Amino acid sequence: MASERIESIKSLFTAKSAKVETNKGEQYYANLYEKCKTRLESLQELPPVSNKIKIESALEDEGVNRRDFLKWASATTAMLMLPASFTPLVAKAATLMNRVPVIWIELQDCAGNSEALLRSDGPKVDEIILDIISLEFQETLMAASGHQAEKQLEDAIATFKGKYLLFVEGSVPMGMDGQFGTIGAKAETFYDHLKRVSDDAAAVVAVGSCATFGGIPAAAPNPTDAKGVMEVVNGKPIINIPACPANPANMVGVLLHYVLTGQIPELDSLLRPKFAFGYRIHDNCERRAHFDAGEYVEEWGDTGAKNNFCLYKMGCKGPMTFNNCSIVRYNEGVNWPIGVGRGCIGCSEPDFWDKYAYERPMANANIKAPTGGVEKTVDQFGLGLLTAAGIGIGIHAAASVVAGKKGETNE
Amino acid sequence: MIVKKLIEKIEGEAELEFSFKSGKIDDVDIKFDLYRGIEEILKGKAPRDALVITPRVCGICNHAHLIASVRALESGFRDAGFTFELSKKAKDIREFTLSCELVQNHIKWLYLTIFPQLNRVLKSDPDDNYALKASYIANTVTKAIAIFAGQWPHSSYAVPGGVTCDPTYIDIISAQNLIDEAIRFTQKVLIGMDLDEYLSIESLSQLKTLGGDFGKLLFTLEDNQLAKIGKSYDRFIVLGESAFFKSAKSIATTTSTIDQRFVKELEQTGTKAKAALYKNRFYEVGPMARAIINKEPIIMSLRKRYRDSLITRIYARVHEVAILLNYTKGLLQNLDITQESCTLKSKATPSDFSGVGTVEAARGSLIHRVKVKESIISKYEIITPTQWNLSNSVEEKRGVAANAMIGLESDELASFVFKSFDVCSVCTTH
Repeated sequence: MASERIESIKSLFTAKSAKVETNKGEQYYANLYEKCKTRLESLQELPPVSNKIKIESALEDEGVNRRDFLKWASATTAMLMLPASFTPLVAKAATLMNRVPVIWIELQDCAGNSEALLRSDGPKVDEIILDIISLEFQETLMAASGHQAEKQLEDAIATFKGKYLLFVEGSVPMGMDGQFGTIGAKAETFYDHLKRVSDDAAAVVAVGSCATFGGIPAAAPNPTDAKGVMEVVNGKPIINIPACPANPANMVGVLLHYVLTGQIPELDSLLRPKFAFGYRIHDNCERRAHFDAGEYVEEWGDTGAKNNFCLYKMGCKGPMTFNNCSIVRYNEGVNWPIGVGRGCIGCSEPDFWDKYAYERPMANANIKAPTGGVEKTVDQFGLGLLTAAGIGIGIHAAASVVAGKKGETNE
Repeated sequence: MIVKKLIEKIEGEAELEFSFKSGKIDDVDIKFDLYRGIEEILKGKAPRDALVITPRVCGICNHAHLIASVRALESGFRDAGFTFELSKKAKDIREFTLSCELVQNHIKWLYLTIFPQLNRVLKSDPDDNYALKASYIANTVTKAIAIFAGQWPHSSYAVPGGVTCDPTYIDIISAQNLIDEAIRFTQKVLIGMDLDEYLSIESLSQLKTLGGDFGKLLFTLEDNQLAKIGKSYDRFIVLGESAFFKSAKSIATTTSTIDQRFVKELEQTGTKAKAALYKNRFYEVGPMARAIINKEPIIMSLRKRYRDSLITRIYARVHEVAILLNYTKGLLQNLDITQESCTLKSKATPSDFSGVGTVEAARGSLIHRVKVKESIISKYEIITPTQWNLSNSVEEKRGVAANAMIGLESDELASFVFKSFDVCSVCTTH
């Protein structure tokens, strides 16, 4: 039984869709380079979709020099897992972001992803976000509201039919015929709204854990029968950028990739871009050395906490969470949860509220410091740990379902 | 005549339905049509899970929810017999991050809600990039939050007994730089004068020296007869306590103490939001309430001339940016990093308890009430600031914002008044 489970988890994580190939060979990149170049040249021929400021003057106005801009471009190139030779193309793609129309809608959400986008990543890239990309419709940012905003949305859909990227924030409440969330004067349900706006989109980008996997609203007992976008939208390319909130670096990354290649980035089996979700938090964690050395925080505020030890025993879900937080961090790279001594809560994984939550330790995992070299640690110990945790997660998931039911009958 | 109006700033959507009688608004219905069921989701979860779930109620005041949650748990732990005191360091760090959240909130509301609506009322279209100004200062202070809290939005760095972070002097210097930058921006762009000079303003005549966007805004309101609209009950309440805000209620010129237990939620018809009342009466919460309870001289002067009108409400909120930036600077200067970050060492959670956590969030008082039975949350109640301010009418009594819109001559003006309270539908209905 146990060995079967280990095998199935092993196959899940070694499946082709889960592999990240950071080097696809010279020929591949040479072809891609040519393709991107042609794509950018044809984009350049197009007029900007709306009359927005040029990136060059915006950067100049804000005192960002060319050097800083290229620094940002080379960091972004690396994040997209492209060779350094692509840096000039990425920089050029950034200046052409106003050729691709973007519509952003909010459904059953807390607007946390809009908030995160507002304080985007990189030196002065907020300029790029706010001025350069052609955000045709974004409730939080635009001046129009109410009926005026509804009209703007309709216009944007008609004008850019089949061409715009649709960013969706928030889950879709399906319970009670969708009456838990409605929008506009006609009280259109979120589901109908999403259908209508996504029908004419080139691709749909689900941003944040609610839009991707249902998020908090979908946590047990899922009072509104909340669903992620991919469960209700069919026949459209969908890209999932989970996490709560989604990292703006990854939103910009997806957008930039689309501008650059005209295609959506390579995705894993959960439709997440591999450039961002190809590795676990644990793989690049700044506290990893303490994990390997068997040094853990045992209680909040103890000596281990003061010395930035590993948070695994405090319930950190880094070992089973796929995301690039440990590399790109948050708030313009200032910090991230593990940086302030709080474990990862696995917020970019499906059903994390019920399975992981925070501080519930994973099956009281009895961890022993691994022996042998670093290589062994990564490959063998890593997988072993994952398996143990996988089983632990199952137990906790079951426990939380029982807990949920118990709470209900008590009322 | 009935006019329907949709409002969707800054978090989610609200629907206003105005009834006009001889050219003036004589009734208004406020509706919120979004529901996620966060309180239902919390039921049945482990108590500490609230620390990661409640911040997600709201993308813009998530930190206030975290602090309310952790305070509710702490009060419950004490109720169950645990004894612990937070270190001054932990308290100050929480105050710092919370104050920064208030600042970014106020700034975004000013630039993304108030200015665009003012331009709509005046039918003007100035060439000003409000979004950039808002995002610049909001970025700066949220970076300062991230130094201690790991990220913004949606941090869970506060735990019963303190905080998880253990900042170094380098962290404090970085945070100081960011606060200094926010102050520089405030001086240059927002108030057009030195911060200390601004903070010494006490009388209306001194306001003439005010420059920047704030000065422009005040003069525009005065010049266009917008200063005096939007009066409501002139009745205020502050429920959260901190080193800076005092909890009390104020009716006319009398300030008196309050008792949390008299706060009640009431169901309303036609909307998914509940109303919040104190001893069966509506009170206004938020920056104006806090300033009046704190007897801020300039707010007292404004109230004397304009009562609880639009201009006093807007002034009080922007004023809080200045006083909070000054306050956070002091907090950093006096932070003693040698103290303990978390004084409740045990991971143990009592199995049965009930607790209350109250906090002053950007839009006003936020209450979390938790009941735990056999180590599982049996009831969790969240009462948000917008439930006080943006309630509809219950039992013949009009909500605070609804009352402030009565008698106005256009729906645009009424929307302006409504937005001066700040819409947050995701909080209101949760």
